[in-house]
Amino acid sequence: MLDTLVFVTVLLPFLVAAVLLVLREQNLRKVILVATAGVLALASLAMLRGGAFIMSPAPLYDSLITLGDFVILFVVLFVGMKRKNQIIIWLTAAQIIALIWLDFFTLKEHGSVPAFFADDLSLVMVLVISIVGSLIAVYGIGYMKEHEEHLHLTKSKQPQFFFFIVLFLGAMNGLVLANNLLWMYFFWECTTLCSFMLIGHDGTEIARKNAERALWMNVLGGTAFLFGIILLQKIVGTLSLQDILARGPQFAVAGGAILVPMFLLVFAGMTKAAQAPFQSWLTGAMVAPTPVSALLHSSTMVKAGVYIIVRLAPVYAGTYFSNFVALFGAFVFLATACLAAGQSNGKKILAYSTISNLALIIACAGINTPAAITAAIMLILFHAISKALMFLCVGAIEQKIGSRDIEDMRGLFAVMPRTALVAIIGIMTMMLPPFGMLMAKWMAIESAQGQFLLMIMLALGSGVTVLFWCRWAGLMLGTPVAKGRPEAQDITVRAPLYILAGLAMVVSFFSPVVYNTLVAPVVAMYYKTVPYTLPYGNFDSKMGIFLVYPLFILLGLGLFFALRQARKVTAAQCSQPYMCGEQLTVDGKPGFLGPLNQYVPATAGNYYLAQFFGEEMLSRWINVIALAVLVIMLFGGAL
Amino acid sequence: MTKIILAVLALVAAPLLGALITGVDRRITAWLQSRYGPPILQPIYDVLKLLGKEPMVTNTWQAVCAYVYIVGAALSVVLLFTGSDLLLIFFVLTVGAVFLVMGALASPSPYSQIGGQRELLQMLAYEPLLILVFAAIAMVTGSFKVSAVYELSRPLLYDLPLMYIVLGYALTIKLRKSPFDISASAHAHQELVRGVYTEYSGPFLAMIEIAHWYEVILVLGLCALFWSTSVVGMVVLVAVTYLAEIIVDNVTARLTWRFMLKSAVGMGLALTVVNMLWLYAQ
Repeated sequence: MLDTLVFVTVLLPFLVAAVLLVLREQNLRKVILVATAGVLALASLAMLRGGAFIMSPAPLYDSLITLGDFVILFVVLFVGMKRKNQIIIWLTAAQIIALIWLDFFTLKEHGSVPAFFADDLSLVMVLVISIVGSLIAVYGIGYMKEHEEHLHLTKSKQPQFFFFIVLFLGAMNGLVLANNLLWMYFFWECTTLCSFMLIGHDGTEIARKNAERALWMNVLGGTAFLFGIILLQKIVGTLSLQDILARGPQFAVAGGAILVPMFLLVFAGMTKAAQAPFQSWLTGAMVAPTPVSALLHSSTMVKAGVYIIVRLAPVYAGTYFSNFVALFGAFVFLATACLAAGQSNGKKILAYSTISNLALIIACAGINTPAAITAAIMLILFHAISKALMFLCVGAIEQKIGSRDIEDMRGLFAVMPRTALVAIIGIMTMMLPPFGMLMAKWMAIESAQGQFLLMIMLALGSGVTVLFWCRWAGLMLGTPVAKGRPEAQDITVRAPLYILAGLAMVVSFFSPVVYNTLVAPVVAMYYKTVPYTLPYGNFDSKMGIFLVYPLFILLGLGLFFALRQARKVTAAQCSQPYMCGEQLTVDGKPGFLGPLNQYVPATAGNYYLAQFFGEEMLSRWINVIALAVLVIMLFGGAL
Repeated sequence: MTKIILAVLALVAAPLLGALITGVDRRITAWLQSRYGPPILQPIYDVLKLLGKEPMVTNTWQAVCAYVYIVGAALSVVLLFTGSDLLLIFFVLTVGAVFLVMGALASPSPYSQIGGQRELLQMLAYEPLLILVFAAIAMVTGSFKVSAVYELSRPLLYDLPLMYIVLGYALTIKLRKSPFDISASAHAHQELVRGVYTEYSGPFLAMIEIAHWYEVILVLGLCALFWSTSVVGMVVLVAVTYLAEIIVDNVTARLTWRFMLKSAVGMGLALTVVNMLWLYAQ
C-alpha cells in the first residue's frame, strides 16, 4: 500500500508527464489531466491517513537518481553554454565535479540510507502539492486553450507545457518526501529545470531573459545545496535527513561546524523562495502563463525553499544563526510588503506579497520556538490555498478584460461578478480574522514577543499588507449599481476557483483540527512541548488567545445579516453618487457637469506612494541590506 | 458567566457611553469656539432620526460594508471587556476598518474614493503604532491577554510612559481628530464633503455613527489599561486624555498625509525604542 502511494505521488506524475508530452489529442489530454489530478489528491489523502513512514525503494532507483542528477546538470550546462551565461556554466561545472567526487569517491554505503521518510510536515506538503497543485493543473486546461488562441500559434505547445507542469508536481512530492539528501538534491534540481522551462514557455524575448535569470539564481542555490550536503556528510557522516534531525538538539548545543552546511542549505532555500536579493527571478517569472505563476507561488518551487528552512529549524535552534535567519525574514517581510504596496500590476502585487509571506515563514523558522514553527507550517498551508486562488482569479480576469492592472479592475463586479466575489473572498482569507492566514500571522507576531527589532518589522509589515489588499478588494466593488450578470467561464477554470475558495474558508474553519492532527505532532517531535491548548477549539497559550469559533460564528452571522439587509435595498433606493451638485451621468457612468456644459467623467486612482514604496528606489537598498544580513549570517552564525 | 455579563454590558452600554462622550465632546468643542453647542444627548437624537430615514445607497455593497463595520467595532469592544487577546482585538477592529474603506471605494464618487484612499493611509499610520503599543504591554506583562494587565501590581504607565504618547498619537489618527482628520472629519468644522462617509445616509450612516461610538469606547478602554490598578485612576487618566484630544482637535489645523505618515512612523519608532531601552535598563 505504502509503496503504491509513494509511487503514485512521486513516480506517476513523471510517467503521466511523459505520456502528455507525446500526446497531441486535446480531449484525451483533458481526461488524463483531470484523472491524474483526482488520483494525486486521493493518494495524498490516503497517505495522510497512513501517517509517518520510512521507505527504501529498490537499489536500482538509486542509480537512476544518480543518472538523473547528471542528466539535469548537463542539460543546465548546455543551456548555459547556449545562452553564454558564465555564471550558469561555472556553477554547473562545479556541481558536476562535486557530484562526481561525492557519488564515486566519498560515499561508501550508497544505498543504505532510506530514500523516503515522511512525518506530518512532509504529509502537509504532499497535501498542498497534490491538491492545490492539481487544481492549478486542471485550471491550466481551460486557461491554456484561451491563451494559445490569443497567441495564434500554428502548433500547440500545450504538450510541452503540461509535461513540465505534471513533472513539477511529481518532483515536488519527491522533494518533500525525500530522506536521502542526494535524492532531495535530484528533485531540487528537477524543480529548477521545470521552472526554467515553464517561465520561458511563451518563447518571447522577455520570457527567455527572465527564465535565464531564474535559472542562474536557482543554480546558485543548487550549488549551495550540493556543497551543503557534502559538508554535512563530512561533519555528520550521513546523508539521512532523519538521522540529522534526530541528532538536532545535540548540534544546537555544539554549534560551530554544523552551522556552515546549515547556512548553505538555508541559503539554497532562500534563493528558491526568491528572498531578497534574489526576488527578481520570481517577479520576472510573471511573464509566464498564469497557471505557472500560480504553481510557482503556491504549491511548488518557493514552498520547497521554505520547506527546507523549516525542516532544518530544529538543527539550528538556539544558535545565533537562527536569530539572524529570523532577522533576515522579518526584514524581507517588511521590505517586500512595501514593494507590493507600490505596485498597480495585480500579478506583481501577488508576487511581492508571496515573497513577503515566505519571508514571514522564514522569520518564524528563525524564531524557532514551538509557537513560531506552528505559525510557519500554518502559513505554508493557508498561503498555498489563498495565493493559488488569487493567481487563478487574476488569470481569469486578465483573459476577460485584457489587463492585469488593478486600476483596470475598477468595478469588476459588474463585468465578472462571480470571479470578483471569489477574488474578494481570496483577499479576505489573506488578511482578516477568523481565517487561517491571519491566525498564523497572529502566532508569528506573538512568538516574536521579547525580540523588539523583529516585532517592529512585523508590525510595520502587517500594516502595509492591509493597505494593498484592502484597496484591491474595495475597488473591484466600485460599480454604480451592483447588479452584474454572471459571466461565462470554462468549467475547468471555474471549478478550481470555487474549490479553492471553499478550501480557504473550510480549512480555516477546521484550523483547530488541522493544528491537532497535522501541526502539533511535528512540533512535539522536535521541541518536546506543544505551544497551544485548544479549549473549545480556541488557540490558547500563556502568550495569548485566538477565538476561532466565536469569531467565525459572530462575524459570519454579521456578514449574513449584512447581506440580507443589502438584499432588501431596492432599485428605487439606489441613488447617484454625490458630485457636489454638478452631477451629469452619461451611459450610466457618473461624472461632472464641466465648463460649457461639457461632460467630465469622474475618475479616481489609488495612491501608490511612489515616494515611499517606489520599486526602483527601494529594491536597490533592500538588496544591499539583505545581502549584508546574509554575509553577517554566514560569519556571525559560524562564530 | 461573568464574561457573558461583561459581553452584554459591552454591547449595550458601550455605544450609549460612547454617544454621551461624543455629546460632551461637542459641548466642549462649542465652548472652546465660543458657541453654545447642542444638548449632550444630541448624537443620540441624530442617530435616532437617521434610523428613521429611508435607506439610500449608490451601491448595495455599501449596505453590507456598513453592517460589517459595526459588527467588527462591537465585537472588538466585547473582546476588550471580556479580557481577550490584544492583538486579536486589533485584528477584529481591522475587519471593521477594512470594510469601511471597501464601502467607500465601492461608490464611484470621487470624494468617497479619495476618502477611502486617505483612510487607508490613516490605517497605515496608526496600525503599526497600535501593534507596537500592544507588544510593549506584552513585554511588561509577559502576555498579550488583556486579563494579564489586570494582574499587574502597578500601573502600566509607570513602565511605558512613552508608549502612552504613542498610543495617544495613534488614537488621534484612529478617531480622525484634527490634525489627522485626513479621511473624514468627526465634526463638520473642516470637511464639507465627508471623505469615507460621503455616500452614506439614513440608517447606514446611523450604523456608522454607532460603530464610531463603539470605537471611542474601545480607544478609551485601551487608554484605561495604562492605569489598571484603580478605577479612579482609570477614569482620571481617560478623562485627561480625552480632554487633551479635544483641545488638540480644536487648536490644530489638518496636516497633510505625508506629514502624518512620516511623523507617526518616525516618532512612534523613536519613542518605542527609547521606552524599550529604559525598560531593559530597569
